[in-house]
Amino acid sequence: MKRTFQSLVAASLLLSPARAEDGLAFFEDKVLPLLQQRCYECHSHEKKIKGGLALDLKSGWQTGGDNGPAIIPGDLTKSHLIKAVRYTDPEMEMPPKAKMPAGEIELLEKWVAMGAPDSRVAKTGDKQARTIDIEAGKKFWAFQPVHDAQAPAVKDASWALDPVDRFILAKLEGVGLKPAAEADRHTWLRRVSLDLTGLPPSPQDIERFTADTSPNAYEKVVDRLLQSKAFGERWARHWLDLTGYADQIGTSNDVFAEHAWRYRDYVITAFNTDKPFDRFIREQIAGDLLPAATPQERAANLIATGFLVLGDVEIVAVDKLKMEVDLVDQQVTKVGTAFLGMTLGCVRCHDHKFDPIAQTDYYAMAGMFRSTDSTHKTDNGVWSCVNKTELPETVEQKVEREKRLTTNDSKINDLKAELEASEKEKAVLDVKIKTANKHSKPPIVKRLQELTPRIKVLQKDIQHSEFFAPAVPKAFAVHDREQPTDMRITIRGNPYALGDMVKRGVMRVASWGELPPIPERESGRVQLADWIADARHPLTARVTVNRIWQKLFGEGLVRTVDYFGVRGEAPSHPELLDHLAMRFVRGGWSQKQLIRSLVLSRAYRMSSAHDALAMQRDPDNRLLWRMNRQRLDAEAIRDAMLAISGKLTLSQGGPALPLEFPENAVNLAPKAVNPPAILFKKHRPVHDYERTVYLPVIRSAGQPGSAKLRDVFDFAQPANFTGKRAETAVPTQALFLINSDMLRSRATELAKDLCESTPNAGARLEALWLRVLNRPITSTERDEANQFIHSLTAESAWIELSHALLSSNEFLLRL
Amino acid sequence: MSMITHSSRRDWLRNTACGFGALAFHDLVRAAQSPLAVQTPRFPAKAKRVIFLFMAGGPSQPDLFDPKDYIKRMHGQKVSAPINTNELRVGTDKFLALATHGEVRPRGQSGTMISDLMPHTASIADEICLLRAMHADNNQHAPAALQFHTGSTTDVRPSMGSWISYGLGTENQNLPSFISIHPDSDVRLYGSGFLPAAHQGTRVIVPQDDKQSPIDYLKDTSANPAAQRQRIDFVQRMNRRLLQQAEVDGRMEGMIESMEIAFRMQTATPELVDISNESEATKELYGVGNKDCDKNARACLLARRLSEAGVRFVQVTMGGWDHHGDIRTALPKSCAGTDQPCAGLIKDLKSRGLLDDTLVVWSGEFGRTPWSQDLSGTSPIEKHGREHQPESFCSWMAGGGIKPGISFGETDEFGFRPVSGKVHLHDLHATILHQLGLDHEKLTWRHLGRDFRLTDVYGNVVKEILA
Repeated sequence: MKRTFQSLVAASLLLSPARAEDGLAFFEDKVLPLLQQRCYECHSHEKKIKGGLALDLKSGWQTGGDNGPAIIPGDLTKSHLIKAVRYTDPEMEMPPKAKMPAGEIELLEKWVAMGAPDSRVAKTGDKQARTIDIEAGKKFWAFQPVHDAQAPAVKDASWALDPVDRFILAKLEGVGLKPAAEADRHTWLRRVSLDLTGLPPSPQDIERFTADTSPNAYEKVVDRLLQSKAFGERWARHWLDLTGYADQIGTSNDVFAEHAWRYRDYVITAFNTDKPFDRFIREQIAGDLLPAATPQERAANLIATGFLVLGDVEIVAVDKLKMEVDLVDQQVTKVGTAFLGMTLGCVRCHDHKFDPIAQTDYYAMAGMFRSTDSTHKTDNGVWSCVNKTELPETVEQKVEREKRLTTNDSKINDLKAELEASEKEKAVLDVKIKTANKHSKPPIVKRLQELTPRIKVLQKDIQHSEFFAPAVPKAFAVHDREQPTDMRITIRGNPYALGDMVKRGVMRVASWGELPPIPERESGRVQLADWIADARHPLTARVTVNRIWQKLFGEGLVRTVDYFGVRGEAPSHPELLDHLAMRFVRGGWSQKQLIRSLVLSRAYRMSSAHDALAMQRDPDNRLLWRMNRQRLDAEAIRDAMLAISGKLTLSQGGPALPLEFPENAVNLAPKAVNPPAILFKKHRPVHDYERTVYLPVIRSAGQPGSAKLRDVFDFAQPANFTGKRAETAVPTQALFLINSDMLRSRATELAKDLCESTPNAGARLEALWLRVLNRPITSTERDEANQFIHSLTAESAWIELSHALLSSNEFLLRL
Repeated sequence: MSMITHSSRRDWLRNTACGFGALAFHDLVRAAQSPLAVQTPRFPAKAKRVIFLFMAGGPSQPDLFDPKDYIKRMHGQKVSAPINTNELRVGTDKFLALATHGEVRPRGQSGTMISDLMPHTASIADEICLLRAMHADNNQHAPAALQFHTGSTTDVRPSMGSWISYGLGTENQNLPSFISIHPDSDVRLYGSGFLPAAHQGTRVIVPQDDKQSPIDYLKDTSANPAAQRQRIDFVQRMNRRLLQQAEVDGRMEGMIESMEIAFRMQTATPELVDISNESEATKELYGVGNKDCDKNARACLLARRLSEAGVRFVQVTMGGWDHHGDIRTALPKSCAGTDQPCAGLIKDLKSRGLLDDTLVVWSGEFGRTPWSQDLSGTSPIEKHGREHQPESFCSWMAGGGIKPGISFGETDEFGFRPVSGKVHLHDLHATILHQLGLDHEKLTWRHLGRDFRLTDVYGNVVKEILA
């Protein structure tokens, strides 16, 4: 505004009254037709107002568009309009299709030089610039403080097992609906096992639970599941969906992220140890700046910051400044989505179009990440790499590593010795062959044919052993810059077009006071994390409990789980959402505790059965009159099949990429034009039997090996940050179920195991149903199954039947 | 406002209510709410379908379409181009002009400039509209290819085939609306992003022998076909019983239906991709059997078959254009591999009367620099290649209401910066949609509170090239 005023003053000073009329005549004769012909198509109220700039009014160019005033009267070099028509900045060339003839450009230059006289007056209905009103914005429900909601009274008080149930029931009673009856024990057990661990219950689990008449039978099951390692293995993956995690840096050239697995394992451990969520937030945003009591804690804190750099970081960008600010944008966006349910990426270029978030809010946070080092240029051509930090080791770890190093050294020495001998022998033979005769030649040729490839293999093996020599463990992590500073607004995200400097801070609409001062020489990430993890934050707890609710009940109370803004969906049960948020924070941000209460509620026990009346009144089940059915996600489908066929192999975590095979690693030479990269030539056999969360995640291509199933069943694209995966039913999935090797293998293993463990065919049918569908077989099914078996040959019958069950909807759904 | 009601597959299946196990896919597709139902274009369309010939890697426009006298004169010497100094240069820091390899001459009545390396393309010069000042935003393959397909260099957005499928539905109820033949490994290039998965591209491989399967998991792995059918019948009986218990469940109905479609695809797909009953003359037109271009010839011929059968958007990817070094040896091979198949496709479409309403687009994700690149730093100029160049490059379009026999756009004396007729690929996207009767500013999808477009907030229809 200030600048507009100044330019107005400047314009009036420049024009004396006498000359003004000439100026206006020049404008009307020469300039106006030009503007109409060249600019109005995209910059007028009649057509479009691109970039916020209208040129059909004087006030249009005075206020200007996203870049500020388009013309500074009298100042050619500062006038964006002149810059644009001169085609000096490739980012802003106007008109976009072709440069105007030189004569026309001269006319515009002359006009601006004479002070841009403009006879057009403002029309009514002139577009008002939208300004962000933070105080008004705070009235929106999501920015209101979390309210301590009391559970409402209900008519049928006996239905409620947990306060949660009263919130649900009250709404249902209010519209005259009844909650669905309780699901039978088999259904509930399968549901809770899959939801908490991603694995079905075993026949023993089923037997124990269905026979358990004690009052705390349900609690026993839930506590067992929450304590199993499988819990973290499932819930960590939900979190990874929000981070863009992959074992690959960026998307170009399959550059391996050989330390990314540490972050994955960190997240699994965080869920399994029930790390308080506020702590989880602080470690991921500012772990490197937090105090640590032990080397292990320090290591975990550093690894946690992988959150900020394990997304799709485009390290091949040739403009490094642009690369860095693009990454800052990704970090702001990710923090916004994962913790706050806000689409902050929009605000990089302009104030948020719908939400009360100004560009200054964005750059306040962006300044913190701009003050953080995330990448560095490497010796490979134009490439950069995500920063790696050495992790503290315990004494034992160090001793053990040095032992491995010695072994590796002697291996390299052996290889080098063999290489030297082979090369010598080859040199001798190369000479010999020149003078060899018909009889002496063939054995030389034969030997050379062995030696040549062997030398290549040896060279590759040596290079590989040297490259991957045991070293101090590292993690992808960030650290503060030496000179942290505030950041200037980048106009339309262009780091070479800078606007005002913005003091580092946070989103004002979700603030309750001043942000504590950022210590000198610090980025401010600690203060950012403290703000997000504060009990008073209106978004963090709400967004988090809603995510947990969505995973358990199929839909969030706010269905747009990643977006709590004005254009998002209002909560179906706002009081319940606040009740849960409050409870979560009071319970020390314990995710396990919250999950435990939810799955032990009556609401979670409801069956997913149909009800004609309810369907008519609430077809989307927003009021939760029954349980939502869910299709298993890719991980659960694969892992459940492995568990059922008895082939699931427990994993201790560790490196995801099979880089131990020299043929899988390329470009290991120092200073190669392209950086080290992975090829999936050879698979690690155990990967076929480990849980899916441990398999390598690739961003730019189909998923490798048996992880391929992810591509078929709606895996979250690992460049996205998403709290809710798409769920589709397409023929590709059916083809996979009908014909894939994976299904066939699991069916074959399952049939073999059944035939060996259960010789009696009748009992075998019982066992098959219990293992795959986790319920007893019905008499109709028994008849059909018997008929089916008799129609096939003995050796294939049980494989086909197992295959049938593993591809059935009942297996793929959790009811 | 979006032009189409936002309804997911689940919604429309739910809306079709009571069990339709007995109905076939085409009945479903006809149902009004199907995401694949034929949609009426916004305004009269010139084209009904698109074939996109994607030259992955970045074909060298200075060698193929846009030679410059200045570069020829300066061959081997340093030129001072108006380059962006913020960018790192590897192997191009000397800025040595590299003259066009071979001759680029005027062809046909139109005089469109085309290289001797592409004699077949030269023979269709009067059919194509050569865009000589194309422009994109990123100079690395992955983000540039992503932008070409989705409009965005980073996010996972729907690809143009998906947008078009969403906008127009499918004309053949037994086929997907979007097929990508020999796609790049990057699944995002044919993904549907936040659009319903019914709009995602189906990856098809043209089988070179009996062992190759045109699409994944098409081969029956069970003991025998009868066993497979018995197994599917058994499963579907169970599935239908479960659905009966549930009474209403659109998702289950969708799953039941997809299994039947999948079963039929096992026989329908190999038949569809089998080009053996095409005439010898047709096969010859594309170069089938010619060892230099057999694979692409089969792919282009299949593209025509699919288009003819009503597939809305068919893409054929032909790689190998990334000539960083020794371009003078490598480029002729890439041309020989693609020239006849692409030109054959245009001729074939024309002779069948299909070219009028089929829009064909030929392009790489970017072009290449007029100066040389030498990653070794020691090779003679004759062995140099060229670096990526999104600032300007050449593409061509044919059919579908595009003016034939014209060249549009000019670049500066280096062949680096457009000076007129600049077409950003957002403009190309806008134009493609326009020819299909879709307004690129109105074809939107609400996601995270915002209405997304293929062209984001950009794009102008290139009216100058419309017939």
